[in-house]
Amino acid sequence: MRYTRRDFMTTAATAVAGSMLPLGSLLAAGPGAQGSDPTARYRRHDVATPEGQRMLVSYARGIEAMLKLPAEHPHNWFRNAFTHFLDCPHGNWWFYVWHRGYVGYFERSIRKLSGDASFAMPFWDWTRHPEIPAAMFDGVLTPTDGAYSPFTGNLLKFTEFVKPSLLKYWNSLSSDQRAQLNSRGYPTFDDAWNDVTGYSLAQKAGLSGNQSYAITCGARYLSRSNPKLDEKTAYDVSPAIVSSGLTPTLFYDPSISNSFASSKTATHLVQPDGSTNFSILEGFPHNKVHNYIGGVGAIDPGPYGNMTNFLSPVDPIFYLHHSNMDRLWDLWTKKQLAAGLPILPTGDDLATFLAEPFLFYVDGDGGFVGPAKAGDYVSTRVFDYDYGPGFGSDLPVAPKRKSGATKYGVIKGGVEAGAASLLLPNTLVEQHLASAQPASLIAEVTLDRPEGVAVTREFDVLVNAPADVERVDANSPYYAGTLAFFGPTMPNMAMSHSATFAVPLPKTLRAFSNAKLLGANAQLNIRLAPSGKQPADPVPVRGVSIKPAG
Amino acid sequence: MQRGAIAFALALLIAQGGCAAGGRVRTLSLPHALDVADSVYLEVRLGALAGGQEIELSTDNGRRLGVISPHGIRPGRDAGTYTVPVPTEAIRGGRVRIRLITTPAGGTARDANADEVREVRLVVNNAGGGSD
Repeated sequence: MRYTRRDFMTTAATAVAGSMLPLGSLLAAGPGAQGSDPTARYRRHDVATPEGQRMLVSYARGIEAMLKLPAEHPHNWFRNAFTHFLDCPHGNWWFYVWHRGYVGYFERSIRKLSGDASFAMPFWDWTRHPEIPAAMFDGVLTPTDGAYSPFTGNLLKFTEFVKPSLLKYWNSLSSDQRAQLNSRGYPTFDDAWNDVTGYSLAQKAGLSGNQSYAITCGARYLSRSNPKLDEKTAYDVSPAIVSSGLTPTLFYDPSISNSFASSKTATHLVQPDGSTNFSILEGFPHNKVHNYIGGVGAIDPGPYGNMTNFLSPVDPIFYLHHSNMDRLWDLWTKKQLAAGLPILPTGDDLATFLAEPFLFYVDGDGGFVGPAKAGDYVSTRVFDYDYGPGFGSDLPVAPKRKSGATKYGVIKGGVEAGAASLLLPNTLVEQHLASAQPASLIAEVTLDRPEGVAVTREFDVLVNAPADVERVDANSPYYAGTLAFFGPTMPNMAMSHSATFAVPLPKTLRAFSNAKLLGANAQLNIRLAPSGKQPADPVPVRGVSIKPAG
Repeated sequence: MQRGAIAFALALLIAQGGCAAGGRVRTLSLPHALDVADSVYLEVRLGALAGGQEIELSTDNGRRLGVISPHGIRPGRDAGTYTVPVPTEAIRGGRVRIRLITTPAGGTARDANADEVREVRLVVNNAGGGSD
């Protein structure tokens, strides 16, 4: 997808200097948001099409060439996979852009090594075709082929082949690269190599499921006689899941169900953990396809095939899988542009996102790219490609819905004696009541969850209720909703017990009807009362702010 | 940052359905009747799982909702939070009734325990809108 300067300005809520825009002078007035780009030099096709099948011939030729290269060569097949092993982001918002760069340079490598100047990496549309394409079991297109056995026949062979040159490469790294690897959890080379072998320092034993190395005969669980994704994996790549994954309206939203990308993290090297929020497409089709091809679920506890752990690019299916993930990002971008919505993080987040350094790429000629930034890869133009049709190409684009009163921004309330008060301008109230949206104003209510022997977990939000009103039902003119906590308090949970809930304010509140009647500003007093019939103490409001929805 | 969608999360109590065959049923209630533009999701926060361990989600009557298959998680770390779309046909009487099942290596399928699934939240998004 080629983006115009106007497209990028739409994404930036702050004034970003032109020199910071990711494409600089390369920005072109591309075509409209829908459809393939006829000006792209390379077209990535569905592997199931004749064009896609033709590309596999060249792909195989390129892999053969890479298998023949010495381990010291950055284009050696296994050395190429180690770029991913050392540097790939998962569970964070750089996931898409880093893999775009990685697949793009790899595509150039195959173009050169295969001798096919028109080569473009086909994509595996697993939504339409939930099985590994048959041709991906031919020759070197499967990592179980005999061509791999001199290198992956057993762990000793693999170690003797690749470890010495990898150590030499490690010792040549810059201080910036070493700092990145350190933050990834690899302060020493041995730490990294332990993830190859699956050795656990804590357990002082090998854990087969954690082993990134895969023996040749076990390098891919799925086979020619068993190529299909099982029912569970097929569900995770189904139209329902993928369509849902394309519906978020923001590239990144802390509310993960509306976030196209996964968590915002400090760097792309941060490994996923308990604080990670996985977006739908990364959390479902991406992860499950990786894991299932390696045998998760079928051959637990492992050892698994390549695709399950971070040497996954040793399996050639990796690139078709990620080509499809990249295609979905491209589709989402087109949808956003058509709806007039941002395509990248907004505000201050944009500069942070674009500036992230990527230091380990290898280019199509086999040299190291050197220091690059995420912003260098946000557009498909950098590798001059677009996509042929696949699932999602024909999904309807929702028209942009104009939000209501935006000029007021966030209105913060004052808190006293456990209740909050705010003044809403009359104009805002009238717009709220006239809005086509069911609730165009949202109150963000912060409270502390009661601890100890308190059993109350649900609290009604009361707006302008008289002081003697302690319980309401859902029809009350003072009732704005019920906040509820899920699960018991857990004494060892290292997390804050404050929570903020977003509460859509119903139009039926008496506070609004009174304000409208009087043509006056609406004074809102918000407090919380225990819901349900059990006697309990009220819980104080810690903070309230009101903002328009959308 | 202005939001392009309304998102509000109400975390609800589990209704104890007992240990019926096929796994314990957890019930989550919608906060209100859905608008036509609303989308419903589960946000499932996981603890530390064994390598290769997955969490299967389904409705109480067996409709599949998805399989969470953590990828790239270092051993011993919690596996993060996953967003699971809930199709409208899985919502009955304003409620979503789900099972969360896991099959440890070499073991039999069983309910995911509180160390494996730390929290499940129901989220309703009103999609559309955008920044101005």
